[in-house]
Amino acid sequence: MKYLAGLILAVALCGCETVQPWERGLLAKDEMQWQPNLMEAQLRSQIFASKEASSGGAGAAGGGCGCN
Amino acid sequence: MARRPEDRNATLLALTSSALLLPAYQGALADAQPEFAEMGMRYSKYNEDDITAKKAFGGGSERYDIDVAQFHLLAPVAEDWSFALDVGWEDMSGASPWFVGESTGGDPKVIMSGASIEDTRTEVSGTTRYYFDRGNVGVNYTHSDEDDYESNAGGVDGAFNSADGLTTYSGALSVAHDDIDPTQGSVPTNTLHADKDVTSAWVGVSRIISKRALVRFGLSYTYREGFLTDPYKYRDQRPDERKEWTLSTGYRHFFEEQNAALHVDYRYFNDDWDVASQTVDVAWQQNLAQDFRLTPFVRYYSQHEADFFSNIADTDDRYFADDYRLSAFGAFSYGLRVQRDFGNWQVNADAERYKTDESWGVYSGDESPGLVDFWRYGIGLNYLFK
Amino acid sequence: MRRVEHSFKAMGGPGHLRLELDDEASAEAAVAAAVAEVQRLERKYSRYTDDSLTSQINRAAGTGQPVSLDSETAGLLNYAHTLWRESDGLFDLTSGVLRRAWDFKSGRCPRQRDIEILLPLVGWEMVQWDKDSVYLPKAGMELDFGGCVKEYAADSAAAQLRRNGVVAALVDLAGDMAAVGVPAGLSGWPVGIRHPVAKERAVARVLLPEGGLASSGDYERCVQIEGKRFGHILHPRTGWPCGGLVAVSVLAGQCLVAGSSATIAMLKPVGEALDWLAQLGLPWLAIDADLACHGTLRDADLPSA
Repeated sequence: MKYLAGLILAVALCGCETVQPWERGLLAKDEMQWQPNLMEAQLRSQIFASKEASSGGAGAAGGGCGCN
Repeated sequence: MARRPEDRNATLLALTSSALLLPAYQGALADAQPEFAEMGMRYSKYNEDDITAKKAFGGGSERYDIDVAQFHLLAPVAEDWSFALDVGWEDMSGASPWFVGESTGGDPKVIMSGASIEDTRTEVSGTTRYYFDRGNVGVNYTHSDEDDYESNAGGVDGAFNSADGLTTYSGALSVAHDDIDPTQGSVPTNTLHADKDVTSAWVGVSRIISKRALVRFGLSYTYREGFLTDPYKYRDQRPDERKEWTLSTGYRHFFEEQNAALHVDYRYFNDDWDVASQTVDVAWQQNLAQDFRLTPFVRYYSQHEADFFSNIADTDDRYFADDYRLSAFGAFSYGLRVQRDFGNWQVNADAERYKTDESWGVYSGDESPGLVDFWRYGIGLNYLFK
Repeated sequence: MRRVEHSFKAMGGPGHLRLELDDEASAEAAVAAAVAEVQRLERKYSRYTDDSLTSQINRAAGTGQPVSLDSETAGLLNYAHTLWRESDGLFDLTSGVLRRAWDFKSGRCPRQRDIEILLPLVGWEMVQWDKDSVYLPKAGMELDFGGCVKEYAADSAAAQLRRNGVVAALVDLAGDMAAVGVPAGLSGWPVGIRHPVAKERAVARVLLPEGGLASSGDYERCVQIEGKRFGHILHPRTGWPCGGLVAVSVLAGQCLVAGSSATIAMLKPVGEALDWLAQLGLPWLAIDADLACHGTLRDADLPSA
């Protein structure tokens, strides 16, 4: 936890590189999206939630099912 | 010819900042309205490995086989809106662990539910989203229905970009009400009718850190209240509330030389049942010639057992469960995804292997005989209306 | 790595696209989108066609009817306003009307009286505009986007290439260039800045990194009157050619900013222009009437390719 907090702080403070809008072509590519394969991701997170004691993290929990 | 920011004088700054308001320079805005409608279909199958005779009373047994069909539609509506429809169908059959008993040798062994359980589930979800200059807001409603379970959930979420577009702040809230009406017949159930409520909140921030890298952090809190016990497990009595926290982070990096993107995601989970877990997801999205992409991926998961978990549940305790899902274990999964574009069409397929073992975890505990391994296969077709 | 080249005609001159990519299949769509984008902007802002937005705005001058605007045009007006302010009124979107008095092909000077009739129609400060509409209060007034739309089109074409997944490309609209990424193995695109007189010769060959390069000035389009050379860039307050530098090239993050910087330098007297360019902090190259070169843009160490 401490390490993570440190990492968050480090990224927040480093100021990062100013990336101009016209320099964001690579970031806009499909393979750079947080979730390029939406349906697959939805199914995987549901399967893992039904086999493990943890769930969530990618948004609010939403609705459930009888699988867990 | 290096152009450092300190070289820029006030005139240049004025020219540049006013030029950048023009549409040609607004590319790559996160979470903008989709330009074209898109549609997708996916069929998946996942089969849990049989439980071996060594781990079950009465010999080896089949576990669940599940077929899943998914449909997705996302369409821009009017000037600033979009609508998304997601429908899922699930058909499951097989047996699941009923309870764990002690064998004559002292080892815990699973007693399976025996008769094959059949269940189908249908889920329909609609999301309306409004887009404005610096972000978007969506409203979602999801209904899920199966023979013994019904869930209704609503939620709102939003994303807001900073003025320079480098940082995106996101948030989401959801509420759900679930009704549980266990199917009577095959095994005695822990309730005839029960319900539960789930309230959840999430905040996230993502940031462009270079021309090729993005990072994000997220924090979520989920409160569950009501009947949280498994209705079909013989020895299962859980608290009627559960508070869960997650802390997650993700990283994306594009490698031009390899024409590939690296995805790394990490999640820490913690709840007041003493469950804690760590998850690491890594994927490598490798572009190959002719709109062809190959994505190998791995996932590691490790969890701490719930404080009321025990392989041989003591029904004298206030709370008890022998459910393998609440035991300490580690899971490792790996898979491969291929996708290929044909004009506006995209075909994709993937396969994943998931394996569990108590000794793979970072948290120690008693190994449950009910731990499950599975194979998952999927094939999908997407179409972009452009 | 494949290289795809495509030539076309647009904005009254030659257009050229150079793409570097892995597979040719996706190049076609990207090229089509980029060319369509340039043509869209040409149709929208040309002052030579009756159905363009520019013609609509100019026809409505003095009628009492404001013309409603889309966000792109409002953005261009806002940008032009910034140029007007930053150039102390030298860059003026309404000054195109002065060309009515000047016939650069005839080799004759206009009468001072013909110029003076037009001068009251010039003045950006008279234009009534906001993000939704624009109105020219005097009949005969004109807006002319010619001073920035070609550079903007080069950037817009580059943006279309990026949207179509292109990571390395060069858009060249008759010398106004926008670069997407850099070619494999180089730190920029090798481009030549044309000599103002000896057209086939390059004054400088440079490596253009991601961003834009634009040039202003056209030595050929001058009138020679009684041994004096007059450039075609007219001063918005006198109506006479500025008589400053002969050619200016600037390299910037965007072709649009590069082009406007070069144009503003052309409007200033030589000494002021050189100081202004030096202070701007962008790489630049200027050529004066004696064909002497000034500036920071120099020949790059180009690979012999």
